[in-house]
Amino acid sequence: MLFIALRQLWARKRQTILTLLGIMLGAAAYIAFSGILLGFREYLLDQMVNNDAHVRISAKARLVEEKSFDHVFARPNESLFWIVPPSGRKDSQKIDNVQEWIQRLREDSDVEAYAPQLNVTVLFRKGKVTQNGRIMGIIPSLQTRVAQLEKYVLRGTLRELADNGQKIMLGEGLRENLGLRYGDSITVVNSRGDAQQFKVSGSFSIGNRMTDETLAYVSLNTAQSIAGTPGQVSDIAVRLRDVRKSYPKAQQWSNDESAKVQSWEQINASMLDVFQVQDMTRYMMSAIILIVAGFGIYNILSIVISQKKREIAILRSIGYEGTDILTIFMTQGMLLGFAGGVLGVLLGYLICWQLSHVTFSSPMMKTRQTTMMVSFNYLIYVYGFLMALFSTTVASFLPALKAGKMSPIDIIRGQE
Amino acid sequence: MSIRLENVVKAFGNPPIEVIKGVSFEVKDGEFVSLTGKSGSGKSTLLYMASSLDNPTSGKVLLQNQDIAQMEQKALHRFRNQHMGFIFQYHYLLPEFTVLENVLMPAIKAGVAEKKRDEAIELLERFELGHSMNYLPSQLSGGESQRVAIARALIMQPRFIFADEPTGALDSANAINVMQIFQEVNRTTGCTIVYVTHDAEFAAMAHRQILLVDGQIESITANKATQPKKKRAL
Repeated sequence: MLFIALRQLWARKRQTILTLLGIMLGAAAYIAFSGILLGFREYLLDQMVNNDAHVRISAKARLVEEKSFDHVFARPNESLFWIVPPSGRKDSQKIDNVQEWIQRLREDSDVEAYAPQLNVTVLFRKGKVTQNGRIMGIIPSLQTRVAQLEKYVLRGTLRELADNGQKIMLGEGLRENLGLRYGDSITVVNSRGDAQQFKVSGSFSIGNRMTDETLAYVSLNTAQSIAGTPGQVSDIAVRLRDVRKSYPKAQQWSNDESAKVQSWEQINASMLDVFQVQDMTRYMMSAIILIVAGFGIYNILSIVISQKKREIAILRSIGYEGTDILTIFMTQGMLLGFAGGVLGVLLGYLICWQLSHVTFSSPMMKTRQTTMMVSFNYLIYVYGFLMALFSTTVASFLPALKAGKMSPIDIIRGQE
Repeated sequence: MSIRLENVVKAFGNPPIEVIKGVSFEVKDGEFVSLTGKSGSGKSTLLYMASSLDNPTSGKVLLQNQDIAQMEQKALHRFRNQHMGFIFQYHYLLPEFTVLENVLMPAIKAGVAEKKRDEAIELLERFELGHSMNYLPSQLSGGESQRVAIARALIMQPRFIFADEPTGALDSANAINVMQIFQEVNRTTGCTIVYVTHDAEFAAMAHRQILLVDGQIESITANKATQPKKKRAL
């Protein structure tokens, strides 16, 4: 049957090539589209998971409510009525019981590393140029175990920050905005107006403009000194041995009322929602490709079968069974699907490879020159190929079944 | 191996119109039989029922005393492949395949294409088509195409050949040639041949001539001059 199927395909070359092109382009489009979307996602997930904490323990901001002071002003069996109920927020930039937390993290076998941090909102000043931003106080040896900071360092080392309290590592955008060179001095002013001088020891670029233009790293002690709060920690970044445990672990630790505990999924919930929209788009596109490729095959095979009725009658009369006829046309559809799928995978790979080598940068966004993040996950290629094969197989089945059911005598009589 | 039709009726449409009205006859092994009659007399319909391609509305078609309707489809297909040859008015060759491949088509189904290859070439040479065995059907004349169809019908050395107006689309020279081939095949192989024709001259070349009128047998005429030889040569 393969011989007959192949010969018939070969005999109508133009039709075969056009059908192949349709399937190939469908599969390639799926692969390229998925490669770009998943590449972007992998990049963002990498940023979320590896550039920040798996679980972040941070200072809890407590709202002041009507009942907040009941225990202060009233006995348990008394009710307190306010003329003007209290409102506001008990702002606290510190985790109350840091040592307890650190002890707890140290003893937890799921925890790979943890790094205390202090985030301070400040004003950066160089001469007359000022810019507001944020300083993150870190312990470099611990911070680098939690997040992959070092690979974003353009100049200098994080370790220097620990060695010398007057050194600061600026985001590249921030450094450029303030017109600073390495080794220059910068003034950092805290919310109370206290100013301190620092020496620019290096810079980093994460690739995120917001971060690169506002953030600077100093050692934890230095940050505490800028904030005027010795020993204070606003966040503890935790890296787990198994990233999949982030959410349950955060839920478990959330029972402790003293701090806000969020997993990376909770922190980036809005971004993960975007991924779901992306998935929807991808699935819709897959469905469209499936339908288009399927209809292509369906139409072509239906036309071919209606043109080949006489041949079907001949084959049936010389002993070919209905299943043989079905096999011939199914084989043709599946061969087209297989070849179209293979070619589509190759073309898709070429497109992805080309895209991943195109460098671009945005002068407006001041991002560094980079290449498009394209995923080469083998599953994209497997799905692309299977999709082409599946859609063509399903689409071939109906016309092939019809051909298999054709009665030779009805064809000869001209009734089919 | 004989074919017997017992009170066969074939009706079409709704309300049903009987095209074949209770026909009974038997074709014996090695016979050369023509079915004749006017257009619409039901001769092709009768041929297709006798050849198992079509089923009667009522009545029986018995192949070596076995009711075709009771046979398993797989067995019937195998029987058709290995013991029956069909020739149609419009030769119906497969256009994508060469002449040789067309002849070998039943052998391909039976899985004996390689074994039958030399035989196919011999057949084509016998029918003066040796030079065009690698041609496509589109490169052949009508007469040549019909001879290829006959070669295809003969490749499995069938016990039966059914031909529906095999000369209908041919000029007189080619038509005579085809009929002579039939006679020769019947004489040399002992293969039973049943053919439909409305040409009186060709009908008379058969051992027996069955004349149909309005779906019924009007007469069965035996032609002693063309009766089969008792000894069968292969």
